Amino acid sequence: METNQKNYFLQLEKDVLAAMEKPTKAYWIALGISASLLLMWAAIWAYQIINGLYVTGINNPVGWGIYLTNFVFWVGIAHSGTLISAVLFLFRAKFRNAFNRTAEAMTLFAIMVAGLFPIIHLGRPWKFYWLLPYPNQRLLWTNFKSPLEWDVFAVSTYFIVSLVFFYVGLVPDLAVVRRYNSGIRKKIYSILSLGWTGSLKQWLHYNKLYLFLAAFATPLVISVHSVVSWDFAMSVTPGWHTTIFAPYFVSGAIFSGTAMVMTLVIPMRKILKLEKYITIDKFEGIAKVMLFTSLIVTYAYIVEYGIAIYSGNIFETSIFKYRAVGDYATIYWIMILCNSIIPLTLFVKKLRRSLVYLFVVSIFVNIGMWSERFNIIISSLSKEFEPYAWGTYSPSFVEVGIFIGSFGMFFTFFLLFLKLLPVLSMSEIKEEVH
Amino acid sequence: MEKFAFDDQAGFLTKLKELVDSGISPKKISIFMPYHVHGVEELLKLQQSSVRFFALVGALTGIILGFGLTIFTSYHYPIITSGKPLVSIPPFIIIAFATTILIGSLITFGGFLILSALPSPKNIAEPEEYGNQFVILVD
Repeated sequence: METNQKNYFLQLEKDVLAAMEKPTKAYWIALGISASLLLMWAAIWAYQIINGLYVTGINNPVGWGIYLTNFVFWVGIAHSGTLISAVLFLFRAKFRNAFNRTAEAMTLFAIMVAGLFPIIHLGRPWKFYWLLPYPNQRLLWTNFKSPLEWDVFAVSTYFIVSLVFFYVGLVPDLAVVRRYNSGIRKKIYSILSLGWTGSLKQWLHYNKLYLFLAAFATPLVISVHSVVSWDFAMSVTPGWHTTIFAPYFVSGAIFSGTAMVMTLVIPMRKILKLEKYITIDKFEGIAKVMLFTSLIVTYAYIVEYGIAIYSGNIFETSIFKYRAVGDYATIYWIMILCNSIIPLTLFVKKLRRSLVYLFVVSIFVNIGMWSERFNIIISSLSKEFEPYAWGTYSPSFVEVGIFIGSFGMFFTFFLLFLKLLPVLSMSEIKEEVH
Repeated sequence: MEKFAFDDQAGFLTKLKELVDSGISPKKISIFMPYHVHGVEELLKLQQSSVRFFALVGALTGIILGFGLTIFTSYHYPIITSGKPLVSIPPFIIIAFATTILIGSLITFGGFLILSALPSPKNIAEPEEYGNQFVILVD
């Protein structure tokens, strides 16, 4: 037992640190592609800033185009990080420790990307700081009664708390990385690890801190996407003004987040050779979460129609008819197929345990969840109340370019994370196996 | 100073129990572990970490700050928006909710740093390393 445990710890450290060693050719190619997309993103945004928002497809009545779709999409992706690291920690779900580090990193990068979209959507993005309450010459404060202002608070709180949570989780592992490095790298990791020694006193305070951060972060899983949903639900636009929006968005967020975790971790596990630690059982655990949230999302789709029909409100009923058979019906049916039908196959245990299959399903879910947000935002705006004010929308190359570029930004950050920080929580895995 | 090092948890706990039973004051024992071994604090009869007080103070500060900011600014520049009362508590709850969590977690983190004496310049310059061993030092 004694030597077994010692060897296991050594092997674990070796395997996790091996992932941080000199990058392979495939890694450079992946990083090259992501970084080029990021550059493209920057160039296109610069083009939009110089020319103004007329280069986009947004118009009157559809003032919120795919920029806002992307914002909701990326904020949604961010959610599973906190779910996996905080909620599953409080519930002591064993499968979390294979995913928590990656999921937390994903959360951070996804919020960074998401937070940029409302700013990109501004006509004068350099004035974005007007959203923050600070004493100014005009003596005017922000409007705290506006859902858009709630968003500023919810999203920035979410980012900061996730960052603290991510960093705190890293500290004991950074001390391990420090031990295996020398020279300037050792110096950097020593500073980042804050001089952690693993003394009893440190561990006692650390455990309490982790517990409290998990407790603080857990309500955020529910609150942040609820606030995002209220950006829509607080208005009187048909198709948006409904009480189920908050739980509907939260379950959708967790659904899309678990899908993105799989999209990232399945290739990562193979490339970094971490099969021993991220086992199929753990994937099955997360696949179950995905299946469960898919059912909730499907239920919300049905209830939405129920509410619309039962309301007897002509605007409400026509918008829901419009979604299923109108201009954007293709996107609507892609959404149903990807979010409600394909995930049902995960009821079959064999499929749930096939990584290739899970990867494919996760891609479908990502597409489906983006379609859901498109469907909610665009269809409701294009046919509001007055028929003479109706209009349709299609994104311009600028919007599509920025959307694709946002993936470049996300993957660039993620790839850098893989090489700079330990991708598995070593101290937690050690605690689990002893 | 005596040093006992173990490669596994069981041997470490047995030795620790032996030391405590032999009447050595827990204050004279320092311990280093690769992960947190639950039960050590009971064995040494240690008090609970006071990080929890920081969490409480942080959360309370956050909630007061959230309501304070929203209510103060509403009166500071009184302007009616959407026909709502100047001080509308329901939307302010959302802001206060966010600040409670934000300030709460930041102060808890700060409290942890103070209590565990981190960052420690000495250990950043010349880290004390015990690898994956469970170490007991007795003064």
